[in-house]
Amino acid sequence: MSDLTRRSILKLGSALIAGGFSPLRVSAQNATSGKTFGVLGRLDYSKAKATPTICFACTNHCGVIGWVQDGLVRKIDGNPLDPNTEGNLCSKAQGMISYTYYPERILYPLRRVGKRGEGKWKRITWDEAYTELAEKMRPLRENGTPEEFVFHYGRDKTKGYTKHFTNAFGTPHRLNRRSICSSNRRAPLMSFYGRDFEWETQDLSNTKYVINWGGNPYEAYQGGLFMAHRLQSARVDHGAKLVTFEVRPSATASKSDEFHTVMPGTDGAVAFAMIHTILKEGLEDKEFWNRWANLSLDELRKSVKDYTPEWAEKKSGVPAADIRRIAIEFANAAPACCTMSNRGSAKHYNGMQSDRAIRTLDVLVGNVGKPGGYCLSSLRGWSGKYGQEGLPNLKLPEPKASDPKPWGIGEGFDEVAFKSQQRAAHARSEGRFSSVIPVFNPVKDIMVSDDECIRERISMGDLGALKPYFADIGAQGVDALQCSEHPQDEKLIPFHVAIDIGYGEQSALADMILPEATSLERWDYHSTNCYGLVPYTGIRQPLVDPQGESKSIQVILRELAHKIGGGMEKHFTYKDDESLYRDWYKELPISWEEFKRRGIWQEKDRPKDYELYERPLTDGELAGTNFKAGKLADGALVEKDGKAVGIMKDGKAVRGFPTPNRVINVYDEIFPEAATAVGLPLSDGNASPLATWHEVPEHVDLPDDRFIFSTFKWNVHTQGRSGHWKYSAEIIHTNPIFMHPDTGKTLGLVEGDEVEVSVYRPTGFTYRAREKGVMGSFKNHVRFLKGMHKRVVMCSHHVGQSETSKPEASKAETSPAEGKSKKLADRRLKDGVWWAKKRGGIGGGVHINDALPINPAPLIGGQNWYDNVCSIEKV
Amino acid sequence: MADFNTDFPMSEKEVLPWEKVGKEYRLNYKRAGMLVDLDRCIGCHSCSVSCKTENEVPLGNFRMRVRYLEQPDNKQISFTPLICMHCVDAPCLKACPSKAIRREDDGRVFIDENRCDLEKECVEACPYGAISINVEKEVAEKCDFCTHRTEVGLDPACVSNCPTDALVFGDLDDPESRISKLVDKKKAKAWKAEEKTNPSVLYVSHEKWMEEKANTGVQLDPKDEDVTYEQNNLKK
Repeated sequence: MSDLTRRSILKLGSALIAGGFSPLRVSAQNATSGKTFGVLGRLDYSKAKATPTICFACTNHCGVIGWVQDGLVRKIDGNPLDPNTEGNLCSKAQGMISYTYYPERILYPLRRVGKRGEGKWKRITWDEAYTELAEKMRPLRENGTPEEFVFHYGRDKTKGYTKHFTNAFGTPHRLNRRSICSSNRRAPLMSFYGRDFEWETQDLSNTKYVINWGGNPYEAYQGGLFMAHRLQSARVDHGAKLVTFEVRPSATASKSDEFHTVMPGTDGAVAFAMIHTILKEGLEDKEFWNRWANLSLDELRKSVKDYTPEWAEKKSGVPAADIRRIAIEFANAAPACCTMSNRGSAKHYNGMQSDRAIRTLDVLVGNVGKPGGYCLSSLRGWSGKYGQEGLPNLKLPEPKASDPKPWGIGEGFDEVAFKSQQRAAHARSEGRFSSVIPVFNPVKDIMVSDDECIRERISMGDLGALKPYFADIGAQGVDALQCSEHPQDEKLIPFHVAIDIGYGEQSALADMILPEATSLERWDYHSTNCYGLVPYTGIRQPLVDPQGESKSIQVILRELAHKIGGGMEKHFTYKDDESLYRDWYKELPISWEEFKRRGIWQEKDRPKDYELYERPLTDGELAGTNFKAGKLADGALVEKDGKAVGIMKDGKAVRGFPTPNRVINVYDEIFPEAATAVGLPLSDGNASPLATWHEVPEHVDLPDDRFIFSTFKWNVHTQGRSGHWKYSAEIIHTNPIFMHPDTGKTLGLVEGDEVEVSVYRPTGFTYRAREKGVMGSFKNHVRFLKGMHKRVVMCSHHVGQSETSKPEASKAETSPAEGKSKKLADRRLKDGVWWAKKRGGIGGGVHINDALPINPAPLIGGQNWYDNVCSIEKV
Repeated sequence: MADFNTDFPMSEKEVLPWEKVGKEYRLNYKRAGMLVDLDRCIGCHSCSVSCKTENEVPLGNFRMRVRYLEQPDNKQISFTPLICMHCVDAPCLKACPSKAIRREDDGRVFIDENRCDLEKECVEACPYGAISINVEKEVAEKCDFCTHRTEVGLDPACVSNCPTDALVFGDLDDPESRISKLVDKKKAKAWKAEEKTNPSVLYVSHEKWMEEKANTGVQLDPKDEDVTYEQNNLKK
């Protein structure tokens, strides 16, 4: 930028002042007269009230301190008592203030008055809303068809309260979003270790060597913030080495001691070559492997015979010598070493098997559960489960309704298929089917869920179009056009209710919108895996009252249950949220007031979650089992009521892993069983009981003029739900296409050129794969980066939503104006958004989801986000 | 309502970290300074967004920026936070015709908003591009190490909100302070040392090429150029 331009703008700034055009001055003057959100003046920490709570700006859920002055939340700091964050937090935490005082926030119940999707609304009362809903929902229960009510949610951070509602209603139809998220990643954990453990919990504070396949904890990643400060400290202070395989120079790749670009979909090939090397060099931990893996080393050796580093180099582009060296360094660091993987390895057609290969590496060097190694922590939701022995039992205190009978899935599924899929696909656990791409049936070539199943079975609608994490204002799924077609079809979905804090793509297609309280206005129970390896729990508590007439999801569901009646009300006995959570935590060994004061509770003296599998079963756990001292042979299962609860090792009954056979299932028949059940040919790599590497079908013989289109996350945003967080959007509000300079040269492009990216349908056993040709296109400008893989082009996926309210607040014509926030709205957005189109800026990015096909991995159903083959044309 | 266990293993009298706030906890330094450790920084923007929230910095202004700089001979990216350097020989202080910029007892450079006449000489004088014009408040705007926090015992917002301990605030005149020890151990240096302003903000592992490229960055969209006036004002 030239000095001239800068000066002219500075001059413009003073011209505005000279002309008296300084609207925010007005709010500054109003600051003392009552609640408003303009320029407020400096926070006075000696007067402001500090309240610990739990952040809700992403999936990490960090312990934070909120500072409130004059009834407004002004600042978020970290809570040093949180053992996961150790007092740290990231930029996104401040986004909670943005979304709470966002001018387009919906604050009153709204009823559609025009056609669905037309954007015309009228304000109604809560009583009118509940009455209409109850009149529509009550007959479903009375007629014995409660399953016709579908509940679609993001990630249930109420820890079971929404399920309590759907159970009480009697519907099994809970649609989550895991298939667009982590299912390919979780399935290997389920298979290997019996549970997904909210991820593995690497002991990064004590590690010496980490190999990372496509994980980006320094920018995103569930648990990323907990990992980043530990890993940075291990690296900088203790000399740990971080090796990353990636397709772009992510923050994690950039801070890695080694960063290797890798061809998308070949992470597994690199991992296999490392297994090959470790076995060849004799660096495996024979004792650990023979004790805990369900496969012999000879069989493993045989299975990786052809996976040489030279073979992997051909597939991945990573030099064989590097693969060999890294494998040896990794094994030599054991057990203080660990793998890490995420989207980069898993969001592919072969991602589930690639992650199984990566998981095998840890078992091979015997770092599982060891200090500095690949640990598995205790689970969330404290109820005495694996690793939670001795912790207070914390549970939803309402009278429980029984689980409704499972959904007999749509056409082509029989009972056998369902059962065998259930475990392999337990990644979809919270709801049996995920939201956008839940279960794929390759025989019928149909999607079960948002698509045909809804068409056939659902006549009620979608209460709780919460979208991920309740705070999402308008992310759209892949194949956004198709995803928005169905909610527009009133025969398919006769009534559609959205519960949200703002107006987004999905609420735009609703018939009724119920205003939800934000995370700064509500209660929640929180627990998750702890990277300090000692379990803890935290409470989300309101810092301020819900604005307008918004209510917490708990209050909405409770009041609705009472309005529906017919016995539902018996499951909702609490008058208010605080009483509910107070009783939820009644077994905690500190007072409720003290817990609220701290925000976090942890049993400090508890031993770390190392080697949970070697812990002996207690006398209590042995009671009622087949264990009698000296009677069971080594390796025999300790069983209770026909279920294995432990395994004999060295004459002792120990816990083992929470798998059916209490060992690590490197080999698992669930995959061919599930394949047979759903008609996936056993020749498909996904059907293999032992991890295998198979090329992504559409990447085979990829022509020179085709590239892989991928998406990525920046550190200031959270998926597609942060576009209206003003300070985040100021830093990232566009999503240019990044590519390697050589790629640009090949295509005859210079930086800034506008191009059209056309994405092709996939070709494997997946949804609509038979339709060859282009799925969709979008246009955007290009930028060059030397760290990009030369066959990959990438956009971030945060911005460009069509309905999402953006910071420029310029959506009056499509927003439900009557429901908007007024009094407490952040007035500083009015003229401050310098990148807004109306101010001559470049606006808020390009929507890419219309161009991306629904592409679920066979068996697991996870969206293969990073497989898309595309062509690029200069516009 | 259930009865609660009253045998507390955690003392209710224990003062929690965020309760230790008040004049009695004031940070008293002879020479307030900051260490920016680029080996630790992961470019997360927690500092810059926290700063904007804390200080009500308008959209378009930055007291603290974080730059993503592509390394010249490598495929990786370097991250660097940039703020007011609180120079001992501060050109802005000398340049201000209305004496609105003053040096506090602990050496920090502070703009008195009540005295600022918007002459903008300071903006031009600063070799670091650290000062900008706040149109909302009609004053020149820059980092003051969060005076309102340090006077009640809290670290500046950016330091307190950095998740990787890349920012350290402390007394550069106290050889026993953590910051002084780190400056020695890690051989921290000034950004643009040739300006000879003797900054109180010192960098670990900063490289010369970053100074030239600081006006660009992977996260800055070149198409934004005409409106990111403050984002780009590092260029002199």
